[in-house]
Amino acid sequence: MVKSDLQKIVIFLSCLLLSSCGSRIERFQDSLEIRSQQDPVLSGDGQKLALIVEYKGRLSVQLRDLRNGEVLRLRHLSRNQPHSSPSLSWNGRYLAVIAQRGNRRLVIIEDRLTGRSHHLLTPRERIPLRLSLAPDATQVAIQMADKGKWRIELFDLSKTIESDQPRGRISNTTSPVIR
Amino acid sequence: MKFRSIYKLSFRVSFLCLFLSVGGCFRGDMRPVRSFNESLEQIYPSQREPSMGKEWLVSLVNSQGKDKIEMIHIPTRRKVPLPGLNRADSQPISVSVSGDGERLALIRQRYDQTELMIYRRSVGTLKRIELSPKGIPRRVSLDNSGQILAVQVSRDGRWIVEVIRLQG
Repeated sequence: MVKSDLQKIVIFLSCLLLSSCGSRIERFQDSLEIRSQQDPVLSGDGQKLALIVEYKGRLSVQLRDLRNGEVLRLRHLSRNQPHSSPSLSWNGRYLAVIAQRGNRRLVIIEDRLTGRSHHLLTPRERIPLRLSLAPDATQVAIQMADKGKWRIELFDLSKTIESDQPRGRISNTTSPVIR
Repeated sequence: MKFRSIYKLSFRVSFLCLFLSVGGCFRGDMRPVRSFNESLEQIYPSQREPSMGKEWLVSLVNSQGKDKIEMIHIPTRRKVPLPGLNRADSQPISVSVSGDGERLALIRQRYDQTELMIYRRSVGTLKRIELSPKGIPRRVSLDNSGQILAVQVSRDGRWIVEVIRLQG
């Protein structure tokens, strides 16, 4: 009898444990003109989402606030399409993306706090394909096509832009709240 | 005469200021970390899909015709062991690392299945995340806590993005 009760308790606890290991899924409703959503990337704090959307036949980066689903305005990234491979820093202050200028691919980093943009042109024979910002935005790793090979190069941004630290952490620069 | 030279000088200074401010936006002033890049090129002849954590670089590398996930600790430039992650029967497609390097989210092709997985480095466990309704995952991104995933999924012939909050 005691053994049977014990078995029931074990089964109940297992079910409880399994249900707590589940997951919650959120989807985004876009206007019908947006035909596809690709290349998602989260900010370090998990509050912002950047993705590439196909709008009127153009691949453009879009930034969303996950707390309310709002699409956030980008100052420098409304042109130079097609965009690809977005990447966000910790609080979403910096958004990096691969864009097109003329017949060249280049890396654009938008600073959403100051409104400035930083551009990186790689040598003509090295075409940037994908990138990833370090969470504090002091470095960026860029995958390039170079003489038929894929290679990754690390770039130091610490002398170019301020770091984006998690809120509450003391850094050499104060990170104000960015919407 | 004096007024004219002052006028010319101020015009030149304004022009120079304008040039410098515009130039600031277009200057390629990001510096390659040369020694790190050279050692990376020596270790991996082909490398793609970078994902950066605080001190970590995770990527897909091609070794003997097969893709596998590799992790580098950037300050020491050492390879980090990932026991149980790379398997002979699967090919990784996309990978993302959490800020502290503890969790990796990955999409892999195994037989005729495309699977979304979470790997915990400290315990070497791999757990499958089910998509509901079913879809084919293509690309994944993890937040720094390793608790939130953004996934590009093919469903009904269309690419959509879903955000998954892991519980527990």
